[in-house]
Amino acid sequence: MGEVIVVTSGKGGVGKTTTTANLGTGLATAGQKVVLVDTDIGLRNLDVVMGLENRIVYDIVDVTSGNCRLRQALIKDKRFENLYLLPAAQTKDKTAVSPEQMKVLSEELRNDFDYAIIDCPAGIEQGFKNAVAGADRAVVVTTPEMSAVRDADRIIGLLEASELSNPRLIINRIRPLMVKHGDMMDMADILDILAIELLGVVPEDESIIVSTNKGEPAVLDRGSKAGEAYRRITRRIRGEQVALMNLDIPDGLMSKFKKLLGLH
Amino acid sequence: MTRMEHIALKGTRDGLILYFDPGVEFSVVLEELTRYLRESTEFLRGASVRCFAGEKGYADEELRALTTLLGEYEVELAGWLKPEEVYAGSVVLNPKESPPWQEEGMAEGPCLFVDRTLRSGHSVQYEGHVVVLGDVNPGAEIVAGGNIVVLGTLRGVAHAGATGDRGASVSAGHLRPTQLRIADRVARAPDEEVEAVGPEIARIKNGQLFVERLTGTMWRSSLR
Repeated sequence: MGEVIVVTSGKGGVGKTTTTANLGTGLATAGQKVVLVDTDIGLRNLDVVMGLENRIVYDIVDVTSGNCRLRQALIKDKRFENLYLLPAAQTKDKTAVSPEQMKVLSEELRNDFDYAIIDCPAGIEQGFKNAVAGADRAVVVTTPEMSAVRDADRIIGLLEASELSNPRLIINRIRPLMVKHGDMMDMADILDILAIELLGVVPEDESIIVSTNKGEPAVLDRGSKAGEAYRRITRRIRGEQVALMNLDIPDGLMSKFKKLLGLH
Repeated sequence: MTRMEHIALKGTRDGLILYFDPGVEFSVVLEELTRYLRESTEFLRGASVRCFAGEKGYADEELRALTTLLGEYEVELAGWLKPEEVYAGSVVLNPKESPPWQEEGMAEGPCLFVDRTLRSGHSVQYEGHVVVLGDVNPGAEIVAGGNIVVLGTLRGVAHAGATGDRGASVSAGHLRPTQLRIADRVARAPDEEVEAVGPEIARIKNGQLFVERLTGTMWRSSLR
């Protein structure tokens, strides 16, 4: 019996789709049978991030409305045999699917896969309600900005109301240097407000933009810092205890010298 | 006097109550009770008792045996107590003897207990006092006819005395509201960051909203 995990945030552009793609790919690397579900009907992206855009024939609306069977709509990943994508429809809108239909779909996915990762659209309307309807667990993504944290808080409240309690938090795009200088909210500030379990911290990383454009999730890139963060998050999802990534800035030569002399 | 391990008799203002140990078999209780009744025949004659055995239920024939036994000693079984009667009744409040809310610094009224954190989007509206055992996050609001007490951090909007009571107050473990209102007065958070100082209380003084620390001397002076 698999697990259905929804990735949500409230605010747009904080990294839900990137997180979904990396989590899914990470779990697939670990040998799990995984399906990624894009519920952002009308504004689909997950297929692009996964590099599978040109293979779409059927989509989630075709499945829920009975135009095709689930098997026909699932797209197999380029790299992994055990990773699939169920793309969103682009020409319809969020009302094309209902929460009840999503519950039925989730049940089907739960039987066929180890993990189903649902990419939730931004906002708190129908699209959000669809995405969380069939989920067992929720992962909330935020960035270290007041507006994103505010929206994450609202989302956590809504998740609790829909009986998806104990969501876990990913803080995305953190810039250690700015935090060090006091120009960015740090982990403690965010956790103080949101007060939920931390699943991981992902540093800002330019390689994410490159990997998103190429359709190759960063989790596969051994040299990427964000990729390393996602690898750790993947292991935590599977129940392992993994230390948080060390995000400290290495000291410059001058400060090392000063430390040596006891001036610091 | 025999030692009683599994039964106890207590007198309350509502009469005599026989407590049975719910952890033991009925036969043990009955045997001990028989011994006790035999020794205290005179004391209990003509009395009426109610019994309590926690959540434990006895079979019909056991109940009949109990009634018969008590009847032999002319003790009437007036009924069984429910757990809530026993535990709720263990403290008897008698507000009529000393009405505390008439003393200085006391306010009476209905109160809503919120045993959770209020997150963005939550709105609590209540005509009495509101007590939150958690935080009130930005984007959440509380509108109360009476006082508002937040044991955690108040970061959202709080409106106390919303129906016009200028004597109402808002207090919090950390008072950092987005906006604070008491009756018809409004104050907003200072634009610059303020350092944490511990519990604070906001109330109207001379027509203006004042915030002061809720610690040390203030408590002591009002308790004296």
